[in-house]
Order: sequence, then C-alpha cells, then structure tokens
Amino acid sequence: MKIVVCIKQVPATGADKRYTDDLRLDRAGVEAIINPLDEYAIEQALRLADDGSADAVTYLSMGPEQASEALRRALAMGGDDAVLVTDPALAGADEWATAKVLAAALDKLAPDVALMGMASDDARGSLVPGAVAAMRDVPLLSYGSELAVAGGEARVRRLSATGFDWIAAPLPVVATVTDQVGEPRYASLKGIMAAKRKPLETWSLGDLGLDAGELSGAALTTVTDARPPEAKAPTERIENLPPAEAAAKIADWLAARKLI
Amino acid sequence: MSNDILFLAEFAGGNPARSALELATGAAELASQSGGSAVALAYGSGAASGAAGLGAHGAARAIVLGDEDRPAITYAGSLVAAVREAQALAVLAPATPNGRDLAAALVGTLHVPAFGPVRAARVVDGVLETEQATLQGSVITTARPSDGAPAPSVVLVLANTFTPAEGGAGSADVSQAPAAAGSALSRASVAESHPAEAKVVNLEEATVIVAGGRGVGGEEGFGPLRDLAAALGGAVGASRAAADAGWIPYQLQIGQTGKVVKPALYIGAGISGAIQHRVGMQTAEHVVAINRDPDAPIGEFADLFVVGDLFQIVPALTEEIRRRKGHEGA
Repeated sequence: MKIVVCIKQVPATGADKRYTDDLRLDRAGVEAIINPLDEYAIEQALRLADDGSADAVTYLSMGPEQASEALRRALAMGGDDAVLVTDPALAGADEWATAKVLAAALDKLAPDVALMGMASDDARGSLVPGAVAAMRDVPLLSYGSELAVAGGEARVRRLSATGFDWIAAPLPVVATVTDQVGEPRYASLKGIMAAKRKPLETWSLGDLGLDAGELSGAALTTVTDARPPEAKAPTERIENLPPAEAAAKIADWLAARKLI
Repeated sequence: MSNDILFLAEFAGGNPARSALELATGAAELASQSGGSAVALAYGSGAASGAAGLGAHGAARAIVLGDEDRPAITYAGSLVAAVREAQALAVLAPATPNGRDLAAALVGTLHVPAFGPVRAARVVDGVLETEQATLQGSVITTARPSDGAPAPSVVLVLANTFTPAEGGAGSADVSQAPAAAGSALSRASVAESHPAEAKVVNLEEATVIVAGGRGVGGEEGFGPLRDLAAALGGAVGASRAAADAGWIPYQLQIGQTGKVVKPALYIGAGISGAIQHRVGMQTAEHVVAINRDPDAPIGEFADLFVVGDLFQIVPALTEEIRRRKGHEGA
C-alpha cells in the first residue's frame, strides 16, 4: 500500500506578510515552513508505515525550487522519497491549477492513498483535495482525525453532529486529516542526515504532459482591493476591581449594546 | 447564462441546517441585485419534503439532489449536473466541511472561479463581488471573477454572514435534479456511526458564545461558563487546548481547525487569544475577554478586556445578569 503525502511550503505562521502593490501575496524574504497542518498528514502516513499498513511513503509538492527544502524536512521525519513539481508558469497558480498539477503528478505516482492536510495556512478555501479527487475521479475521505487502511479500503474517523462516524471508500482515494491525528514527530539528527541521501526528483509541467499555457496567466479571480480591517474602537479595560463591581461594569457595557 | 443565484441547502434528520436558511436569504439578496432568482440545491434527509419551505426564507425554486442520509460528498455527481444545467451567476456554499467538499468537487469538475470563505458578497452591475479576510485577518480583500471567466462563481460563505429572513409565506417550486453521470465521489459511505448520548449544540448557530480555554483548568471549570451561557441564552465553546485536554467535545472547538463562528457576542474566559483561535472568532460582533494576564494577546483585539480571576468574575457576572433579567420580569 503506497501513500503520497501532498505538502505545501508556506510563509511561517506569524511572519510579517503583506500584499504587493500589484495585489499579489508578497512571499519575498519571508521565512518558509511546511504548512503546519500538512505535518499532521505526514505524521499519519508515517504511523501507517510504522505499523506496517503502508509499504512506501512519498512526498509531493508543487512550488518554487526552494520548496525542495520543505520536502527535505519532511524526509527527515521519515518516508522514502519525494517529488517537486516546479515550473515558472506556475507562479500565482490558483486552486484549479494547483489541483490540476497535483492530479497529473498523482496519476503518474499512482498511490493507493493521496493524503493532504485539512487546510493551508496561507489560503483558506481548502478546495484543493476535493478538486483533485474530482479530477482523478476517485473517492474523497475528508477531515479525518484518524486514517486506517485495510482490505482494499480506506476509512477516516470524522466528527459527526454529536459524536463521530467512520467513513469508508474503496482504494484508491484522496484523504485529508485534521490536527487530531496526534502531534507530528520531530526530525532526529539521524533522520536529517538520512534525508540528504533520499531520492528527490524534480518534474516540470512537460514531464507531466501538461500545457503551461493552459495553467498560467489565466487566474479566474481578480483581487481589486486589499486594505486593513475597519478601524475598531480601542479596547476598553476593566482592571483592579472587586468581582461584583467588575461584573456590574460588564453588565452595563453589555446593556449599552443591547446584548442583555 | 441566467442571473440566478444557486445555494447549497443541507438537510439532516428531516430539517434544514441553519446554513440553508442563511444562504436562502443571502441568495435572494444577491438575486435581487442581479435580476435573477434564488435557487436551492437541496440534499440530505428531509430535503424532498422540506425544500419547498425554503421559500419562506427567500428561495424561488429548489432542486432536490437526493433525500438520503449519506456523506455530503456523495451528492457531488448530481450537484455538478444540476449546476451545469442551471447556468447560474454564482453558487453559494457554506464554509463548513461538507460545503467545502462539495464546492471543491464543483471547482475540480467545472473549472470555474472560487472565492472565500467570504464575509460579504454582492452583485454590482451584474458582476459578483466578494469580501474576504486574509493573512489571519490582517488584510481585507475585495475580489471578483476575472474578465471573461466562466460562470458560475463558487463562493464559500461564513456562518452568520446573512441573517435568515423569517415569516415569508412563499413556497419554493420544487424539481428533481437531472440525471448524473456516475462519479467515484459517490462511493464513500458511513461504515460505523457513534453518536454521543448527550446533545451537542451547533456552535455556528449560536448568537452568544461563552468560550473557555486553558485557564479554565479542567472539565469542572466549565461549570461556571455554562451557567453564564445559560443566563445569556447562549452556548459554550472552547479553544483547542481545552478540547485537546478532553474537557469538552471537539464539536465545540473554535478556531482554524474547529468551528468558525460569528456570534453577536463572544465572551472568552481563560483564553489567551492565539492566532489559531482568533481566526475562528474574529468576526464576532462584540468580543469580551476575561483573563488574569493583563498582557494576554486577546486583550489587543477584544472590545472589552476584563483583567481578573475568571472563577470570581464569571459567577458574579452570571448573578448580575440574572438579577437584572429578574428585575425586568418583575
């Protein structure tokens, strides 16, 4: 059973991020990390390798050449090999283009499970996994707090309205996992050394039989304005008051806003 | 292309989800600007009998994708077929796990523009325009489909972006979804179901939320928060730290990997205000924080920051609110 974990390199959480004058996200000079939620997908894949459910774990990323650093970091945590799809035509790729490229690479890698994080830190749509599943015409098992694979079938444990369900589908599948799978492991020094010798291939769009023209320069959405949030009134503070007096002040504040 | 606005209307247990009512009203608002109609794409148990009722909240028509209790993503095939046939201006989907899965299937199949999750949407001179908070809320962007982009636009909409219109007498005209080509997405099924015995509220529907974090200290520490929530007619929520500690079910977690809520009033007690929590509640209309640490990050973005011991202040506030409400009633 073969797993391909799709990971994305993103600006570090809390880094100073901004839009450029031409309304694109400015990524220059910002520290880059593995998207934190993708680390849970890595952890889930490595747990399946540890318990013998998975025979091979491959990492796949689409991004600029520097994204190979993220793949090396993932390889230091464990796993076998990695593929980076990079092409100048992919700068500013939207969800559709990203999904198209990942789907083509996954067609070539042919995993039983293509595993992804539940969301990316620098884009909030979470549309790529479902779009990849639709393009490859395979089932989608999303938002799992655990992934299990046995007998030609994958299952995810997913929150329901009150408890949880196990959702199942025949292999191959696209699956996503949440931060409830368990804390991602740290790379050991030994792991970091070993990662340097693990195979890391770089593919271009041509290697995937994709047409650069179809994928580039055709963003379907246009940002027309980027601005700071509406200025809000300064925070009011209540300090150094006995509880009953503080409570009365809070109640006054709520009443003035018709909240009680 | 028509000027209609489609929206996903999820049903469960015989009833429409709150998001279906909000999006019915939202779609009607946008349709009045575009000169089209609001059309529901209803799925889930209760959709067949309940779809007409969405007319009371603004839907002119409803297309039933299916009436079974099965994973939402399995409706992707009939959803795609219905959207193809409708030739609409936009499709609104709730920014929930199910809504995102179905929106993703649309984007992957139809290659159309995707927006969101948005906190506002409108149609200006026939063109969809959306507003979104990005970069952890530090930037608000306005976006629209590029010139010549195909329709419909798929728009993920945050909970509470629209307030359901009530009391409308209208009834939506109901039709069945067109036949769909087979899709592998329909092959997911519920293998096991483990519902909890206790009822868990849907936080996205709450207009008042009292949330607790690490500072609450334990399961029993949520008792005073429940009392305050009850006095305010609200629900209890939590940070990831409190859910990870097992003090409260994950269904009540607010934040990047939990629920994104937009209540009229959010009260955070013993919550420091880490960025991952903040992205789940920053669109609340009023934010009150109670924390012992005068330098807690939540103090920087709360509207009212109360520095003090939550175990003293929360019960005192509950008592004060009960007293005032009792007084009103007398």
